[in-house]
Amino acid sequence: MLKHSVDNRIFQGLREKMEQGLLPQWIFTDPHIYELELERIFARTWQFLAHESELPEPGSYVTRWMVDDPVLLVRTNSGEIKAFLNSCPHRGTQLCTADFGKKKAFTCPYHGWTFNLDGDLIGVVAGDKVYGEEMKKDEWGLRPIPRVERYQGMIFGNLDPAAMPLDDYLGDMKWYMDIILGRSDGGMEVRGLPQRWVVHANWKVGLENFAGDPYHVQTTHRSTVELGISPQDPLYAGYGHQVVLQNGHGINVITATAPGKPQRPPYQGLPQEMWPMFERNLNADQLKVFAKTTVFVGSIYPNLSFNSPVHGSEGHLHNYLNVRLWRPLGPEKIEIWSWFLIDKAASEAYKEAAYKGYVGSFGPSGTLEQDDTEIWARIVHASKGHMARSKDLSYNNLLNYLMGLERVLPDETFPGPGVAYPTCYLDAIHRATHEYWLELMSKEEESAGENGCES
Amino acid sequence: MKTAVNPELQFHITNFLHYEAFLLDSRRFTEWLDLLADDIVYRMPLRATRERKDGATIVEDMTFFEESKTSLTTRVNRLGTTSAWAEDPPPRTRHFVSNILVESGFPNDALTVRSCFLCKRSRAGEIEAEEIFGERVDVLRNVDGQWKIAARTIYPDQAVLGVKNLSMFL
Ligand code: FES
Ligand SMILES: [Fe+2]
Repeated sequence: MLKHSVDNRIFQGLREKMEQGLLPQWIFTDPHIYELELERIFARTWQFLAHESELPEPGSYVTRWMVDDPVLLVRTNSGEIKAFLNSCPHRGTQLCTADFGKKKAFTCPYHGWTFNLDGDLIGVVAGDKVYGEEMKKDEWGLRPIPRVERYQGMIFGNLDPAAMPLDDYLGDMKWYMDIILGRSDGGMEVRGLPQRWVVHANWKVGLENFAGDPYHVQTTHRSTVELGISPQDPLYAGYGHQVVLQNGHGINVITATAPGKPQRPPYQGLPQEMWPMFERNLNADQLKVFAKTTVFVGSIYPNLSFNSPVHGSEGHLHNYLNVRLWRPLGPEKIEIWSWFLIDKAASEAYKEAAYKGYVGSFGPSGTLEQDDTEIWARIVHASKGHMARSKDLSYNNLLNYLMGLERVLPDETFPGPGVAYPTCYLDAIHRATHEYWLELMSKEEESAGENGCES
Repeated sequence: MKTAVNPELQFHITNFLHYEAFLLDSRRFTEWLDLLADDIVYRMPLRATRERKDGATIVEDMTFFEESKTSLTTRVNRLGTTSAWAEDPPPRTRHFVSNILVESGFPNDALTVRSCFLCKRSRAGEIEAEEIFGERVDVLRNVDGQWKIAARTIYPDQAVLGVKNLSMFL
């Protein structure tokens, strides 16, 4: 157990500040906070591993990371998906170094132990001669990731065997995932591989940006307004509902249309041939929300975000799903993983147009994406000093999470679950997300509980 | 490999690619666009780490760039707005282009040209420079005595890019 310069009294103080809509700048880049996050957040919460379409057949595998834990995800001969620590149990060598592929068995390059798709140790070089009969092979299989569960094709892992089930963890987010991922017959599919790149930013900034920050769109992405790609109305990304969900999750259901103005094309401009599928796969309330929405953008705590936008012009609209993983590489660094997903049921021409729209806008070269990472890096750059980092809060290093606090009330008429506010220019999700952060961060090991109570 | 090109052609092509790099590094993007054919196909697929038996390490299905002249023009126009933050203040780039191999054999005065690239980028007061490197395969077409880039495929060597964005052209 690490000894930390941040103890639970600090979190109690932060909780009081958060209630006033304030959060200190140092929580984003403080190295001690980061160490504690690895232990109390990333070792206990559900982290995204892959979409099931990335593992199309028995023997398909991908390698992934849960922060610093290497993960080998395989589809077994029975079609099950299993996740193992991608490290040989003999001496710890990384077992599989490829990003993806297909195999019947995994052989370690160090001493040649071989494991089948179920993780069982099936071959030990000269086993009988060197280890004898006493060697119990069934004790030396690959070490499974303690929990692997999925929802709507999204596979998550958890390092905590006692974690709450994924279903409970996602809670009401599932209702929105049904729309985003489960609306059409056959669900979604990943195209190619995720793009990966490294950015000087803290993982919470990526999380925040997608979870609850439509407010940044009109300034950060003003170049696209200037080009006439995005609407002129500075409030456009604010129209719709910001929905606060359980366990730090949140989603913005953006209509992008001012009240009283003509509605955007229904169902994110998806082709009319697909509408009967939506009616089959969604319930009446989900349809009602989906019909009016232009963009769904949100985050699943701790480090998974998604964006389902609409690009193109009237008659040539397309929608897709961009899934983002913010893999922490340290307090000031993330590796971004960005997947493009599209409805399996869409036509090839539609898929192609949507893919091009994605690469040009939200891929790492995208006209929208470029400016986000530049600005996130500037946060890291400006948060290293004493004034930003001092924990006695005497330099006004409290950042502003005041938007809509006690000013904007929930809209009881919104058909979806969660606490829905009638605007997306709001810090409600950010406050809830950071309150959840505080809850997790101040939770000691369950077994060590006695001296961890707050005063 | 067909390398039956004369030294003069090699010289012209080398100069052309050096001039292109000069335009990019001098932020003369509109002039750069003039070097591109109107039907240019400009792509940058992903690099993946794969086992040898599984085949190519380039994944064509997903790209970092999948561009036409129109979309490249939009990107250039964006740099002319007042709010392209990734490029304002402008970072300094150097495009190093080397190992230029000219392959003839295409019809219609077209050539396949392979080159290696290293693009270094310095931002603000940061001491560490970002970099990206790999191979480019171009198709150059002679249009009325002027070389134009009719196709460019950029193959990065990294499976995980070390640049915070691709706001530059490669
Ligand atoms: S470390 Fe894998 S077989 Fe020895
Ligand atoms: Fe953004």
